[in-house]
Amino acid sequence: MKKIYDVAVIGAGHAGCEAANAVSKMGFDTLLLTLNFNNIAFMPCNPSVGGPGKGNLVREVDALGGLIGRITDLAHLQMRALNTQKGPAVRAFRAQADKHLYQQCMRNYIEKQPLITIKQGKVSSIKRIKDHWCLTLNTGVCYEVSAVIIATGTFLRGKIHIGLFSYSSGPQGQHPAISLAESLEAQGIRFKRFKTGTSARVRKRSLDFSKMIEQPGDWLPHGFSYWLPWEPREPVSCWLTYTNQKTHEIIRNNLDVAPMYCGEITGTGTRYCPAIEGKVVNFPHKDKHQVFIEPEGLNTDEMYIAGLSSSLPEEIQDQFMRTVPGLENVEIVRPGYAIEYDVISPDQLLTSLQIRDWPGIFCAGQINGTSGYEEAAAQGIIAGINAGLYLRGEEPFVLKRNEAYIGVLIDDLITKENNEPYRVMTSRAEFRLSLRQENADLRLTDYGYKFKLISEADYQFFRTKRERIQEKLRFLEGNNLSPGSEEAEIIQAKTGLKIQQTTNLKQLLKRPEINCAIIREAFKNGKDELTNEDEVIENLIKYEGYLEREAKMAARLQKTEGKKIPVDFDYSQVPNLSFEAREKLMRYRPETFGQAGRISGVSPADLSALLIWMTRSRKK
Amino acid sequence: MRDTDTITAISTPQGEGGIGIIRISGEEAINIGSQILRHPSGKKIITWPERQVRLGLAVFPDGSVIDEVIYFLFKNNRSYTGEDVLEIQGHGGLQNLRKILNSTLKAGARLAEPGEFTKRAYLNGRIDLAQAEAVIDLIRSRTDLAHKAALTQLRGDLSTVIKEQEKKLMEILVPIEAALDFPEDEIPDLKREEALKIVEGAIFKINELLANADQGMILRDSATVVLAGRPNVGKSSLLNSLLGEERAIVTPIPGTTRDFVSEVIDLNGVPVRLIDTAGIREIEDLIEKAGVERAWEIIKQADLILVVLDSALGITPEDYQMLNQIKERVPIIILNKTDLPSQISFKEIKKEFPQNKVLSVSALTGAGIKELKSFIREELIGTNISEEHPFLVTRLRHKEALEEACKYLRFTAEGITSHLSEDLIAVDLRAALEALGRISGKSVSEEVISQIFSQFCIGK
Repeated sequence: MKKIYDVAVIGAGHAGCEAANAVSKMGFDTLLLTLNFNNIAFMPCNPSVGGPGKGNLVREVDALGGLIGRITDLAHLQMRALNTQKGPAVRAFRAQADKHLYQQCMRNYIEKQPLITIKQGKVSSIKRIKDHWCLTLNTGVCYEVSAVIIATGTFLRGKIHIGLFSYSSGPQGQHPAISLAESLEAQGIRFKRFKTGTSARVRKRSLDFSKMIEQPGDWLPHGFSYWLPWEPREPVSCWLTYTNQKTHEIIRNNLDVAPMYCGEITGTGTRYCPAIEGKVVNFPHKDKHQVFIEPEGLNTDEMYIAGLSSSLPEEIQDQFMRTVPGLENVEIVRPGYAIEYDVISPDQLLTSLQIRDWPGIFCAGQINGTSGYEEAAAQGIIAGINAGLYLRGEEPFVLKRNEAYIGVLIDDLITKENNEPYRVMTSRAEFRLSLRQENADLRLTDYGYKFKLISEADYQFFRTKRERIQEKLRFLEGNNLSPGSEEAEIIQAKTGLKIQQTTNLKQLLKRPEINCAIIREAFKNGKDELTNEDEVIENLIKYEGYLEREAKMAARLQKTEGKKIPVDFDYSQVPNLSFEAREKLMRYRPETFGQAGRISGVSPADLSALLIWMTRSRKK
Repeated sequence: MRDTDTITAISTPQGEGGIGIIRISGEEAINIGSQILRHPSGKKIITWPERQVRLGLAVFPDGSVIDEVIYFLFKNNRSYTGEDVLEIQGHGGLQNLRKILNSTLKAGARLAEPGEFTKRAYLNGRIDLAQAEAVIDLIRSRTDLAHKAALTQLRGDLSTVIKEQEKKLMEILVPIEAALDFPEDEIPDLKREEALKIVEGAIFKINELLANADQGMILRDSATVVLAGRPNVGKSSLLNSLLGEERAIVTPIPGTTRDFVSEVIDLNGVPVRLIDTAGIREIEDLIEKAGVERAWEIIKQADLILVVLDSALGITPEDYQMLNQIKERVPIIILNKTDLPSQISFKEIKKEFPQNKVLSVSALTGAGIKELKSFIREELIGTNISEEHPFLVTRLRHKEALEEACKYLRFTAEGITSHLSEDLIAVDLRAALEALGRISGKSVSEEVISQIFSQFCIGK
């Protein structure tokens, strides 16, 4: 039996699969451990992928050579384009996935990777032995590896609550991982408790859709992935209905058996995806809340109820659901529940996602205190790449805040006090006009290729596309539209815009009524390639001023980001730091001045004090 | 120059007084003390007990006695600056104190920069930045009005005005951001007209603050008024007569002490530094020439220029030349010596220089001096200065932040009216709020996110 691998990935969820794929593509012998072979890439909550910020993450992971984008494209039931009227920074796709198909596609993909070995097994301890790590399974089997990626999701000491009934469990009744948490804790890893939850699943046959509003999908010109040929398919609808005062009354009357309100749950919950109990209590004046009914898959009668996440007793869940139009005769398949689990205090993490002072041990996904498949995938691919770089003895790969949402996500994780599971939002990204979903490949694919996560053929395709964009930009810059010309007449006919004087095409494109397609038609120049090149070009030109501003801001950021703080820097020496700043800096140990400044509680005055002190001691 | 040097300065106001204090701060304080202080018996001092008043002699490093003094030592952990501080109290009188100061310099201390003791206190964690800024303002505020402005800012009136605007602007930004991030939740659309009103209101308020900013900074830093003119037109006597009884602070400008006399007067609450330039003439003499160049430099930087003419002599070609040379600065023309028969007709000069104010005074009799003073004050800070609402913006840092906020608010307003998409409006609005945050200390990003969740019921 083979017992030595380069790297082990614990957990085959959305972070684990990305990590295993990335590190194996870098040429390392990878052991992927899962508690249950049937549950690879399991979606225990909402079957939805994407949205503002999250969709950008999916495209970034895809641009780096990751999996979530292509698997979603293969397994989607419907896609929607969101924020289409709101500007390029926040336009996003969101997909409903067929959960079962999603798992199947991911498993097929992972199974095809020559360097990945999948094993079902439960890790009970990780120990350092000389220069390698020893993973012991509960069966006693021992694996020897040089690096480990821990991607255990909500399994670490997971505890499910349904009303006052609670039990140790992973999500949806899977085995929890208790001894692994204990082993890590015994070796000095600090954990905190987070809480998340999900809603009940119901039988489709018990619902009355005639009382709901249909939410059809959109026909989109392309999917998430830059690399798969897009095959649009007949979208499967979701449905919208609403709660009412009756629903709220039942919930309000039963708060004494709601684990969140009667003291049963100690972990911190999320603000952006609260249980219905939380919505009713925190927004008492709202007379209704949205409820989305979403299919779990094509080959199942099970449906997901988005908006009614709850950990009230099963009977109360049944009661309040029946007050919602269309759910009067609801048959619950599985009740909603809350789950508490261990997350690693992120002040122990480095930007590489390695645990500080644990060489070769990386963490990714919900264990780091995030929520969401997209956030997990993003960390997974980075942890995978960095495990590979660690094995090669190279510097870690760190994406900056102005390069990717992935950079924002990881930087926020390690510099901010997150008191709830972290979700990416466009408002967290100060460079969001630059971090658009359509240009993720232009931002990141060079890196993906460098790490060998992008195939030679895909990279050629990308380079041709990039060259074509350059060429089109040159064409616009180098050509004018003259009044009275044939082209001007076509444009006037199309848009009503009368050309009074010779206008450069780039300037012309800045006008709101003009787009690439119109110019192409007038100039009979080139054809539409159906890759989002037009969108790239239009955004670059139309938002030039804003993008330049972000570029300037990024250059300023680079200055502080370039200033490194020594790993062993002694903050207790610096006499003029505020108490809070000193305490936070000693705990988070930022790697650069930029990071130090983003730690909450570290004021600009603290930062300048630190800077003065460091320049001063260098002079001495 | 380094923050680790041992620094020294006369810490009491300069002028005649009973005693004067010299303060030495830094690692070398005790070492310097043992070079320049002796026991009353003349013996060297060996022990340096902390916080005990001792009698001693101040001496030059060669041993010659300067003065009988008392001295005491604060060790670094219990001093104002956070360093070893030695205080020496000598007999008042500038000459005497300067001798002791000289001795400390010879013994290895460096002359402190203005505010450097406070800077040390800040660097060593004894006070925070806001306190340091306020202390420095208080030290520097020379007059009542300036004092009031510094105190108002300490109390936080500027912050109050700014926080109020921040709150209003957040009311626009939060729903925009919430809708962008949660398109499938029911967030009300941006009401462009209402938003525009709020943005325009904020621009108005900030402009109000900015309108007084230059005067506010004058209150903090004092304005510079230069007296220029040929030699012997009576600049010095005009200076003295402007000083009158208010002559209080004599502050030489570093590096120009030989050439220029500079005094600070209080013009009814407004601190004004008066500078008498050496007579400006074209002379080949090198030293004079250097002086003349410096005079031009000072004239260029002045807030206000008074060109003094000798009305008894008439306007000379040199006068014309000078007036033409600084025409763009629109100097005030002062016809001095009105006590003598005048050779210059008021009408004539108004015709020649229609843009310039012309005032007649007699430095000798004091005629017209009162008018000149209120005229200078008015020129510098205008007439609408209210004692109840002193100027809130007195720092360049704040002024720049407000100007930036204003710029981005104008972009925001343009964006709202020209129907730019919400993500772009949000970018400008955020930039404005971040600029305001540099004064109020608020972090926009964290504030936005927490308000999104407290105001809107988010989440499927």
